[in-house]
Amino acid sequence: MTAPPSVEGGMVIERGKERIMLMFEMLDRETLGIITLTLRMTLLSTAISAVLGIPLGLWLDRVNFKGKGIVVLINRTLMASPPVVIGLVVYLMLMRNGPLGFMGMLFTLEAMVIAQVLLLTPIICGIVYTASQRNASHIRTFAITMGATKLQTQILLIKELGNEIYFAIITGFGRAMSEVGAIMIVGGNIRYHTRVMTTTISLLRNRGEINQAVFLGVILMLIAFTIQLIAGLLRKRERRTDENY
Amino acid sequence: MRITNVIKSFDKFTLNIESIDIHEGKIYGIIGPNGCGKTTAMKLMAGLIQPDSGVIDYKGLTPRDITMVLRKPYLLHDTVARNLEYPLKLRKIKPDNRLIEHYLEITGLTDYRNEYALGLSGGEQQKLALARALIFSPKMIFIDEAFSNMDIESVAFFENYILELQKANPITWVIISHQLSNIKRLCEYVFFMCDGEVDASGTTNELLSFPENKTLKQYLQYS
Repeated sequence: MTAPPSVEGGMVIERGKERIMLMFEMLDRETLGIITLTLRMTLLSTAISAVLGIPLGLWLDRVNFKGKGIVVLINRTLMASPPVVIGLVVYLMLMRNGPLGFMGMLFTLEAMVIAQVLLLTPIICGIVYTASQRNASHIRTFAITMGATKLQTQILLIKELGNEIYFAIITGFGRAMSEVGAIMIVGGNIRYHTRVMTTTISLLRNRGEINQAVFLGVILMLIAFTIQLIAGLLRKRERRTDENY
Repeated sequence: MRITNVIKSFDKFTLNIESIDIHEGKIYGIIGPNGCGKTTAMKLMAGLIQPDSGVIDYKGLTPRDITMVLRKPYLLHDTVARNLEYPLKLRKIKPDNRLIEHYLEITGLTDYRNEYALGLSGGEQQKLALARALIFSPKMIFIDEAFSNMDIESVAFFENYILELQKANPITWVIISHQLSNIKRLCEYVFFMCDGEVDASGTTNELLSFPENKTLKQYLQYS
């Protein structure tokens, strides 16, 4: 016999409350540490990749040299490179017997950031390069007609390509946030040390702790949403309209 | 400005200008059929592109004294007012509200002051670009078909405005236009270009009213 609708509704609310309480219980010190580390790694690697990728993309558009086509092709390939391959390359570089083994960086946050920078920089560079190909020459020409200095021209380029650069950074950030393969290899998913949200979700799923995995997944989505929201509000750019009256 | 033996080559086109003299405070016109090299010549003069060989002597003018308005002007992704303020900001000149108001008024864009510039019509965009080029008082201004999208009334207004401006504070103008009426009203001297070369030049009256050059005669027939 089914319960009356009101009772059934009350049970659903109760169950919802229980789940929310359970989620807050899950938000213990360790989880908070994982979230903090994830944010540090993601923001740091996105920032470094933006600093490298944006000027590289602008430069690639501006210069003409023999073999530029090959460089662009390599960049496009790297944009789609499998994270595990990048992780493996960084691992081989940083492992004890590797060329950079003396630095002792394997299984650290720094190693994870390096791997992510290698993944993100070609993406940001590629998007900025493509956007520059469309608009940068017009902007540079305009800057010359206005008598802008080289520095003023660069500033104008970054301002005018703001939407595209924003998109490039957000895309890079999304990749950094969702990445598992490379950071698992170079970070090792070590508890209290290099365990981040994506590697934890993967681990929890393997252990069959689905509730906790889903909880972390929800938190990850909420963080991504919040950061996108803040970035969007900060930009505050005028709505572009091509209406012609 | 003096241009001597300037050559600029592209894949299928070569511009070859033996000699052009541009005198301060005068208005020059460049006419010629499509693809004859008018815009390339203008870009060379304005310093937007560099010649393969030859000399362009600016006679002391710096890039900050020269500006160019293109047929399809680039407008900043910003408001109409900010577009007007931009060349002033580059020169670290605090935008004077009265100056901005004046240029908004002559372009008829006072009500659009805070509107997004890319939302303007083609003609309005050209007016804004022209005002933006004038606002910082350049010494030399190049206009590449910058009246092409304006309505007849606006063209007449700007022609008069330029002529008035010349009386008060003469600057050097070089204007490309397919509208011979623009050239006749504004320009004192005209260069006729054909196949990458200056085929004929002279005062507007002698060149357009009494053409001797055969190609120019043909060109004028259809204009």
